[in-house]
Amino acid sequence: MKAKLVLELFGFAVLALIVAALPRFISDFRARELAIVGMYFIALLGLSILTGYSGQISLGHGAFMAIGGYTTAILSVDGIYGHQIRDLWTIPIAGVIAGIAGLLVGVPALRLSGLYLALITFGIAVSFPQLPKKFDHLFGGTTGKILNLAKPPFGLSTTTNNWMYYLTWGIALVLLVAASLLVRSGAGRALKAIRDSEVAATSSGISLARYKTMAFGISAFYAGVAGSLYAIANAYVNPDVFPIILSIYLVVGLAVGGLDSLIGLIAGAGLIYFLQNHADTVAGWINHLPALNLDPKQPGIPSMIFGVVLIVVMLLLPTGAGGLLRRVFRPLTGRIYTRS
Amino acid sequence: MCAIVGAIAVTSAGARPVATPGVSATEIHLGSSVPLSGEAAIAGNVARGIEAYFKYVNDKGGVFGRKITFTYLDDGYDPGRAVNNTIRLIQQEQVFAVFSSLGTSNNLAVRKLLNDAKVPQLYVSSGATTFGRDYKKYPWTIGYIPPYSEEGELYGRYAVKNVKKPKIAVLYQNDDYGRDLLAGLKRGLGSKTKSIVASVGYDPTSADVQPQVTQLRASKANVLMVFAFGKFSLQAFNAVSRLNWKPQIFVNDVSSASALMAIVPQKAANGSISIVFGKDPAAPIWRSDKGIKLFQSILKKYGSSVNSRDLQDGYFTAGMATAYTMVTTLKKAGKNLTRQSVMNAATHLTEKGNPFVLPGIVIRTTPTSRFPLTQVRLQRWSNNSWHPFGKLISAKP
Amino acid sequence: MLIGAFTWTEFAQQLAAGIREGAIYAGLALAIVIIYRSTRVINFAQGEMATFTTFIAWSLMNHGLSFWTAFPIVLAIAFTGGVAIERIVIRPVEDAPVLTIVIVTLGLALLLNGLMSVIWGGANRQFRGPFSTRTIDVGGVPISVQDIGIVLVSIGLVVLLALFFRLTKLGLALRASSVNPDSSRLVGIRVGWILALGWGIAAVLGAVAGMMIAPVVFLDPNMMQTILLYAFAAAVLGGLDSPIGAVVGGILLGVTITLLGRYVGFIGSTLKLPAALMLILVLLLVRPGGLFGRVVVRRV
Repeated sequence: MKAKLVLELFGFAVLALIVAALPRFISDFRARELAIVGMYFIALLGLSILTGYSGQISLGHGAFMAIGGYTTAILSVDGIYGHQIRDLWTIPIAGVIAGIAGLLVGVPALRLSGLYLALITFGIAVSFPQLPKKFDHLFGGTTGKILNLAKPPFGLSTTTNNWMYYLTWGIALVLLVAASLLVRSGAGRALKAIRDSEVAATSSGISLARYKTMAFGISAFYAGVAGSLYAIANAYVNPDVFPIILSIYLVVGLAVGGLDSLIGLIAGAGLIYFLQNHADTVAGWINHLPALNLDPKQPGIPSMIFGVVLIVVMLLLPTGAGGLLRRVFRPLTGRIYTRS
Repeated sequence: MCAIVGAIAVTSAGARPVATPGVSATEIHLGSSVPLSGEAAIAGNVARGIEAYFKYVNDKGGVFGRKITFTYLDDGYDPGRAVNNTIRLIQQEQVFAVFSSLGTSNNLAVRKLLNDAKVPQLYVSSGATTFGRDYKKYPWTIGYIPPYSEEGELYGRYAVKNVKKPKIAVLYQNDDYGRDLLAGLKRGLGSKTKSIVASVGYDPTSADVQPQVTQLRASKANVLMVFAFGKFSLQAFNAVSRLNWKPQIFVNDVSSASALMAIVPQKAANGSISIVFGKDPAAPIWRSDKGIKLFQSILKKYGSSVNSRDLQDGYFTAGMATAYTMVTTLKKAGKNLTRQSVMNAATHLTEKGNPFVLPGIVIRTTPTSRFPLTQVRLQRWSNNSWHPFGKLISAKP
Repeated sequence: MLIGAFTWTEFAQQLAAGIREGAIYAGLALAIVIIYRSTRVINFAQGEMATFTTFIAWSLMNHGLSFWTAFPIVLAIAFTGGVAIERIVIRPVEDAPVLTIVIVTLGLALLLNGLMSVIWGGANRQFRGPFSTRTIDVGGVPISVQDIGIVLVSIGLVVLLALFFRLTKLGLALRASSVNPDSSRLVGIRVGWILALGWGIAAVLGAVAGMMIAPVVFLDPNMMQTILLYAFAAAVLGGLDSPIGAVVGGILLGVTITLLGRYVGFIGSTLKLPAALMLILVLLLVRPGGLFGRVVVRRV
């Protein structure tokens, strides 16, 4: 046990070192790209706590990112009683507000199981973008809200992109540690017990309600922080910045990357970003195959590429994060099937 | 962490001291962000039209010996991706200017950062008035097509003058696009805004607008303004026909392509009025037109992955019209091409004879009037095609 | 937004519009339910599969075939396609976690959507369905023959399916395989092919739904995207494993949402989807299996 802990600490130290040193070797824009990957990573960390550790599927986490993003936008543009809040300080607030929303969703979620929960959360992903359009005085409607361009604080002489990179990955590493501690704690064990068998967990005295809603709240907090950072990085929010498909991408990143594998989640985040923004590179690789000549500029080709990659990756790595996914869902489907 | 940040304080990306980014003795690099995936992907054809036109111009020697490289990136109509693409264009691709990016909110999202970086945001592909109007705050930005609100105003003025006792029903898309048209309409009605007896907005997430049209029908209006986009406009015509309603219909320009008007019930479509400023390659009147023939020959020779359908696609033509103006602008900016000189050219433009817009249109700008395309004609639909009538009128704010 | 006065004529028209909307959702919801019932999977590609087969119908009709000549051909292609997809793409991940299969269907949706754009382009096109666009007068209210046809077809499909499941050996096998695959195998049922059959049937249902809808909303690659969302809602409302629930849920949803959107100004067009979500959520809290669904309750 102790050896495992030492190994993990060592791994973490290596990661932190890479994160710190990387901008030296990459272009400024690449740093921005990695910052966005980091934002997806933070959201995925939260989602893994929810789906990986407490076994609840959410197809709506883009909505929590949107809550975080809009909180930051409103606080930094409209402010409180006209007093604008500096974008940096809005990040934890955004996380907390998203977290509260998560708790609120977590309560009715207790009554829903498996795919019903998945579809309801998908309904949230679909419905949420409508709210800024309806309450456009507060949220800006489709015109959206324009934030001040992100600038490094305290007059640090670094580029905006590098600042976003360090800010995002700094927060990501902290939240990663927090997530690791949570998972190792009593609460984490309770979550795992719930995931493996709700019946057994309740028999052992674990309060399903408390832990399941807590998982929702925490995962929403993470998503809110990610959304807040995303709003700062883009200096703009409107419903299309957090579209329905974002919730889908998050779940894809989770399944592909891995639930309990840290490196996996980073890879999942990277994949989401890469497929969206470097479809031409992927098309280039595919075009090495004989008889294929895809033009990534032709409408429809980027979607096809994304779709094919998803299918192939899932066919090759069906259990994405290893047996963990299987263990997550066997108890769920087990309720509907009778075991023979 | 602050120590780390301080220690690795890096300056701007690969700061090679270049006189003007994106301009060399042999090349001008322009960039754009457009939807190539998602619901708005067909609009991305504008960029493909531009690409083909630039290749044609390059083949003839380019502009002052410089060939135009056009890099366009997919943003899926997501402003977050548009921002990312634009930053990539400026920082990684080092483009000279960003040109004809598509979408109102996408362009709003990048406007501040482009102006901050003093990169020209040229010929924005959106009819929102702000891009031409707010130049004091955003001097590096300029629009292109006639603003939607002006279009609405023209319909209002026409209705007041030519419809007896107009009772107007309005179907509008519930976003800036539709609301701009509606606001313009109200302005055009002047003192007669009470003529609007019903107005119903629909959300783009609707499956069908029949319920909305049904609601409008109940108002017994004799004029219907269709300020709807694409398939919703088609559904509106369908609903009007099914409800046995015969109002005077005005349909907004974006949805007025001949290909669309031809597939709706003609008894509802006949007599509809719209504005026009570009040449629609699917329209019978332009079949033998030199400009459209040029368009099709360029597309066939220089277009990438185009098929016969695309030769009738107005998005490609719109792209070529904008590209033509871009080339005019580059020529006017002179051999000593800088970002400032191209902005000067763009705000002192007088372009005649753009082969892809209506004959007689003069694309004109001044530093305080930044709406290049402001002349339109009215047209009426009958016998399966549009028939322009009247003279060129102004749609200038 | 001016709401306008209330008239009974308009109310009747809105009601009819709502029923027709609902019947549209019902058609696709049926397909979703069939796949869920036979394979326990939510098929996110259902809408795109339906649109794809409708495009094939369009192409056939564009080459001169009449609707009724093309119809059986398209159904056959849809069935084959559904079976093929299940065997080629779904079978390898059959035993994988449900989430993986869902993501495969998402990938399939993206792939089909892109493919349609590439083959047919993104422009809207007209699709001439089997029903005339005439309107007939029902008590002073103009109702379109097409709308009546759509509703009748949806109801007819449910009846056919109910008969299939209850009276045929194949239907029985399908029900058995979904409830207890292991025992079914013991009895000699080729469970793998039965699952493929489920997908084939669902694809056929989707094709029919697509061909009903296209004349109304016009055909383009994104035709089914919003409708799929409502179809999910209808399926959940009715109970994910109940075909009757899909149709009842669909029509109920269509009527409620249309009337709410019209007569409750606050909801209007913008909040129709959130309103649908709220309604369904409330219902699920009271009946966790939807209107007609079954959910095994775990008691501790």
